Amino acid sequence: MTATQSKPAAAGETRTLTLIQAITEAMHEELARDERVVVFGEDVGARGGVFLATAGLQASFGKHRVFDTPLSEASIVGAAVGMAVRGMRPIAEIQFADYMGPGFDQIISQAAKIRYRSGGQFTAPLVIRTPSGGGVKGGHHHSQSPESYFAHTPGLKVVMPSTPYDAKGLLKAAVRGGDPVIYFEPKRLYRAAKGEVPAGDYTVEIGKGAVRREGSDLTLIGYGGVMPDVERAAQALAAEGVQAEVIDLRSLVPWDRELVLESVSKTGRAVLVSEAPRTANFMGEVAYVIQEQLFDGLLSPVMQVAGFDTPYPYVQDKVYLPGPNRIAAACVQALNY
Amino acid sequence: MIQPFTSDPLRWVSEDGQPIRELPARFTPELLRELHREMVRAREFDKKLVTLLRQGRTTFYAQASGMEATQVGLARSLRIGHDWVWPYYRDHALGLAMGVSMLDIVSQCLGTNSDLCRGRQMPHHFGSAAQNFVSISSSIASQVPPAAGNAMAQKYLGVDEITVCTFGDGATSEGDWHAGMNMAGAAGAPCLFVCENNQWAISTHLREQTASETIHIKAKAYGMPGYYVDGNDIVAVIEVLSHVAEGVRSGQGPALVECLTYRVGSHSNADADAEKNYRTREEVNEWLARDPIVRVERLLEHLGAPIDAGEIAELTRATHREVDEAVLAAEATGQPDWQIMFEDVYADIPVHLREQEAFLRAEQTGTAVGGRA
Repeated sequence: MTATQSKPAAAGETRTLTLIQAITEAMHEELARDERVVVFGEDVGARGGVFLATAGLQASFGKHRVFDTPLSEASIVGAAVGMAVRGMRPIAEIQFADYMGPGFDQIISQAAKIRYRSGGQFTAPLVIRTPSGGGVKGGHHHSQSPESYFAHTPGLKVVMPSTPYDAKGLLKAAVRGGDPVIYFEPKRLYRAAKGEVPAGDYTVEIGKGAVRREGSDLTLIGYGGVMPDVERAAQALAAEGVQAEVIDLRSLVPWDRELVLESVSKTGRAVLVSEAPRTANFMGEVAYVIQEQLFDGLLSPVMQVAGFDTPYPYVQDKVYLPGPNRIAAACVQALNY
Repeated sequence: MIQPFTSDPLRWVSEDGQPIRELPARFTPELLRELHREMVRAREFDKKLVTLLRQGRTTFYAQASGMEATQVGLARSLRIGHDWVWPYYRDHALGLAMGVSMLDIVSQCLGTNSDLCRGRQMPHHFGSAAQNFVSISSSIASQVPPAAGNAMAQKYLGVDEITVCTFGDGATSEGDWHAGMNMAGAAGAPCLFVCENNQWAISTHLREQTASETIHIKAKAYGMPGYYVDGNDIVAVIEVLSHVAEGVRSGQGPALVECLTYRVGSHSNADADAEKNYRTREEVNEWLARDPIVRVERLLEHLGAPIDAGEIAELTRATHREVDEAVLAAEATGQPDWQIMFEDVYADIPVHLREQEAFLRAEQTGTAVGGRA
């Protein structure tokens, strides 16, 4: 079940929005749709969030539904767990993914496990939204990509959109699902990513990737903030006569193995791109499954382009991030193997 | 009458069973006998489970002997099945007094098919939706922020429920405890925090735990009242907790109640020789003399309605029978199949877990190829 590009599932007006506008719109529509939905976190009320993801929501729905909290990630996540257990549908914002540490125990000990440990008697369907990734001169406390920590914890779903259409659809799917979802927002795409977004209601299924570009020579796989550079690399390769297929995972847990394996079995080559540090990077699991399932059909080793195993730097963030040249070079290496 | 921030624990009945202030009218001999029965039932449950542990039929147990007045008294102060409880891992006397069945608690301790939690956690971490008694987590103080959130939801929904959150003295050192207390205070959430201060976090004494003189004074920092109660005086526990719970229910915001009590037994089977290792026999004896069950017996004597020894012996036997029957009933349901390991991770079973389940099925039936799904 794959579309070359996700098609709007809803009739109605389609506008060009930025990624962050799509996120705001998703929350607005969900707040309007379901009384049980609330939005909270540090500075999300009158201020509208430090990136303005929640701008206007408190004005529209009141302090009852959209409210500021004490400066405590443990409280924010923990409160979301308790609210969800009591029947609400909380959307909690953690101001930066780098600050998930104090809320980590709440995420892995409570949110991820309450359904399992209670034998399904108590559940915690909730969404934790948080801006992640680099490229905004944030230094190592405003740039990290901690998704692998959460992908490693059974009981959590982990998603990261790269387009406005997916941002809205995935967020709405996360709010309506039965599970805790960690929803990473690639902050450098907040305003850089623009695209068509239907005004109406639709969801993007969690666990489904998308083919962004079709090709037969190799498969480029990424998610989140690196996607524009992945597509630029594919364009550069196309100018050299190489047709790369580009897949946007969109969801890490669960991830669309079927889509990935279908593509790599066709192309015989895979290059995996993320900006998180290389060691124990989530893409290691993707590479593992590719080689396990398609070993005989691979024409080259599975390549990984990732962040370096250093804390995220400040001055050097342009060289830290895998840009189109580094991605294209890995592709050439695979093609020449 | 019931003041917050007292320097000494609030008490109604002295250690030798004398009312030291007027006994509230509701504490009739009938009620006191009922409370006595519930405390004895919890005490005997403790003994039986320690026996099961020694027999190897369960693998972990955390005794609450000596803490029965605090837990049974708390149960009496709630609207059971209406209010919500986020308990900690020593709360079986609370669970029993709230009406969680002996079978349900025993089943969880044995991990049988009759376990409501489906064999997913180490023993003594039960949970029961019928009583809104949320499944217990081992992770110390991690129930505190969710309890605050549960209470925030109750306020948001406009229901007249409250949330109760229990914890030991050690939990008050965790960051999550402070975060949750602060959150509840800032939100004005109807949350009743109850510290079952038994003075020992495994082998670490309260004096090493904090420089605060008491636990309840910490409430001041979070803008809520803190109450200090003799946790071995069930009359005091019920009087204070009922009063505070209704204040919380009526929109006064959260409150903290510290029940000063003592864990007569070890922390768990992991430190079975508590006296040899970290505390003195003298200290234990001193607290044995403050036994909450004996105190009620003495109070009943004082009121001219003594319980005779035969009655207590019969109560003890009845509880032992009840546990034995629960053990047999639980064991009769068998151990859960391996398949349920893959359920309840998510609302629906995702593809990768289906594949891992299929691999395990093949391995179990001897048809597996290789070592991974």
